[in-house]
Amino acid sequence: MEQPNALILEMQAGNEKAFSKIYSMYSEAIYGIIYSIVLDESAAEEVLQDVFVKIWNNSASYNINKGRFFTWILNIARNSAIDETRSKSFKNSRKNLSTSNFVDIISSSDSLNTKTNSIGIKKFVEALKPKCIKILDLLYFKGFTQAEASKTLDIPLGTLKTRNRNCINELRAMVLG
Amino acid sequence: MTAAELIESGKLEMYLCGALPAEEIAEVEEAIETYPEVKKETERIEESLIELAEKVAPTLSAMVWSYILNSINKVKTLGDSESKSTNWGAITGWAAAILCIGGIMWMLNQNNNLNKSVELTNIENSELKENLNEAETSLAANEEVLEILRSREYQTFTLPGNQAVAPDAFAKVYLNNNDGIAYIDVKGLPEAPRGKVYQVWSLVMEPLTPSSMGLVEAQNEVASGIYKFTDFPKAEAFGITLEPEGGSETPTLTQLYILGQVKTL
Repeated sequence: MEQPNALILEMQAGNEKAFSKIYSMYSEAIYGIIYSIVLDESAAEEVLQDVFVKIWNNSASYNINKGRFFTWILNIARNSAIDETRSKSFKNSRKNLSTSNFVDIISSSDSLNTKTNSIGIKKFVEALKPKCIKILDLLYFKGFTQAEASKTLDIPLGTLKTRNRNCINELRAMVLG
Repeated sequence: MTAAELIESGKLEMYLCGALPAEEIAEVEEAIETYPEVKKETERIEESLIELAEKVAPTLSAMVWSYILNSINKVKTLGDSESKSTNWGAITGWAAAILCIGGIMWMLNQNNNLNKSVELTNIENSELKENLNEAETSLAANEEVLEILRSREYQTFTLPGNQAVAPDAFAKVYLNNNDGIAYIDVKGLPEAPRGKVYQVWSLVMEPLTPSSMGLVEAQNEVASGIYKFTDFPKAEAFGITLEPEGGSETPTLTQLYILGQVKTL
């Protein structure tokens, strides 16, 4: 998918319509990332709101010639979600949170998006190799740096990179057909 | 690193996950800009990652977007007021309101002043009316007196001052000797000192008999400076003396101011 640079420029110029289009393009994915971290729908919605307000307010700090827009907002989303899990009110309300990854969420979800083949995606993610699940969970959903992930998973950096690529290739084959 | 090598290295995936260290990001971004195949590959990886994240998302409430819209509009408004841009509409509105209030206050004040001056004018008017009444009354009295003095029954005499006491004094007498009525004008007499009063006497010459006619005092005054006396014996002469307050039984001759004969027809 090509990045909607024209929309991004308009949003940076203060165009709310362009911003609303960007919201409809990215909000679901960003919501998925946030949800995988906070594991609570209303808390995730609040974080999502904050993230898009930040995107609007700080849009000038993004440069379409430098870096991917999705990567930029992905970082904002993960940081905001992690901040939320560290907040006092969040800790108080959810003490016994089980550690979940994206596969657990998809597997347990009844309200999966109807526009995709939910049974197919469930099958797929459950078929992902456990090490792929772990790698994608840390690098993509949890926002670990490659060095942190290498250390946590106790595998060399080169191996991690190759495995991450192979895992995403599997994903591509599945979701993009 | 060639484009193919970069694609195979797994750096693009790391970059898109935001897991690449800062020093390697520039290299990847440059390659994306330079090589269309790297850009294409980057877009494909990104798309699959976005798809995956979307699968994880629960159903998203439409309220989220309206909340965001609300927030950014609030922020925008705050930003506007912090900036130095001038809101002429508001300023004009406030200025108009202040002018309007000022105008109303001014008008109220004016109204108050007018009310006060109307009140003053009313008071002045009633004072003037009283004065007019007095003037009319006094005019009527004067006319009445004048009417009497002009009539056939009255004769006029000018009584000279006593050379020894008051050479410049005089008094005028309008006399109706038949009815025993006299009007005496004392304009030619000096003002009586404090504690003293002029007393008018009618005189019969042989033998010389003075009879008191009365005092020159307010209760006898019929017009300004003109005093009316009645019920006195037929007079051949009149005298006016200065007496202690209340008058005397007999005239004090050392204080005889006026003395003059009258010849009646």
